[in-house]
Amino acid sequence: MLRESYTAIVERSEELRGDFATEPYECGWAGEAIFFVRILEREGNLEGISLHVQISPDGIRWCDEGTSVALGEEEVAFCKVVHFGNWLRLSGRLPDGASIRAIIALSLKA
Amino acid sequence: MADQARAVLNADPMLSRFDPLPRIIYHDDFNRGLRGWVELIGNYEDSLDSMLPQYADMRPPMLSSGTHWDTGTHGAMQGTYSMKLATRARAGDISVSIKRVTWRHRGPVRLEAYFTFKPEASELKLSVDDVRAVGVLFDLQDEAYRWMPHWRYLNALEGEPVRSWQFKREREPFHDIGGRAETVSHFHLAPTGWENVPDSGQILCYNEVATKFNWYYLRMDLDLASRQITHLQCNDRVHDVTDVGPMMIPAMPNLDCMLNVAFWVETDVDKRAFLYVDSVLLSGEW
Repeated sequence: MLRESYTAIVERSEELRGDFATEPYECGWAGEAIFFVRILEREGNLEGISLHVQISPDGIRWCDEGTSVALGEEEVAFCKVVHFGNWLRLSGRLPDGASIRAIIALSLKA
Repeated sequence: MADQARAVLNADPMLSRFDPLPRIIYHDDFNRGLRGWVELIGNYEDSLDSMLPQYADMRPPMLSSGTHWDTGTHGAMQGTYSMKLATRARAGDISVSIKRVTWRHRGPVRLEAYFTFKPEASELKLSVDDVRAVGVLFDLQDEAYRWMPHWRYLNALEGEPVRSWQFKREREPFHDIGGRAETVSHFHLAPTGWENVPDSGQILCYNEVATKFNWYYLRMDLDLASRQITHLQCNDRVHDVTDVGPMMIPAMPNLDCMLNVAFWVETDVDKRAFLYVDSVLLSGEW
């Protein structure tokens, strides 16, 4: 049996600033996931900024899972996560004056 | 359908609840993955910014177990997973998923699906008017026309219950995309131009709480040869299609034999709206 896999583009080029989180994504069927963050545009100082994986019991209430992805100078950054239950999202907080436009891909595998 | 063919369908629990035409073009049971259903995206050239803004964010479909804060996993009609479309929590937001194939015979086709829809269970309220609409559309082309049957259940509009089926034949304007005169785009799901299917009021089984799912049957028949919508049905209600028509557009480049099907959901309030599709069957006669 082939392992099921699916990549969802959970954020595409919308300007992100201040506090933000990607939309809830249901993926309880998957056993492993990678968030890829491809920066299309950046503005302001992003030094030391990380986005944090969050999990949820119901898709409404969220807690930090403990994994994060650091936004460096490279175009694409990623983080891996396992044992995440039924929902995943990525949240972040950008400082005043900073913003990004990114394609955030959630790559899932059973 | 011949008795023998019907008997074969009845022997398969996954197929016996459908009434397909003789050839099954696809049968998507979402316990086996998303099976070619993908987020709809608008046309673009050189930059995503060239896209019509309404198409910029139609949200990726998910495989949902229908899990809720109060009762846990509801599951699907058969098995655990259904395809879930989710809007953002912003009134008027739409989520659209599409499957793209081509036709091999210009004859009758039939789309059947089992589906339900719900608002996000983020409030302890009835919330029955929070989902604005769910719908299904075809995007088809033959040698003369691109034609697009659109059919939606308008559940509520600006807080008022409607509970009626509508269709859309009014075309939306085309816009040039990019600077090379190669690509155009039109936002055919715009809120304008919808018409009531005659006598199409229908109360569906919302069932009181946002976390309870009851699944509905949907059927839409077309004749690719005559470019007619020939049958619209939800559960036990067969609707009058006498005056129901599709959008008609002169044939466009590189869309030959196109046979696309899309589902969508639209929210009426600043709350996510969800469409769940348990299974889809597209069949044809040839």
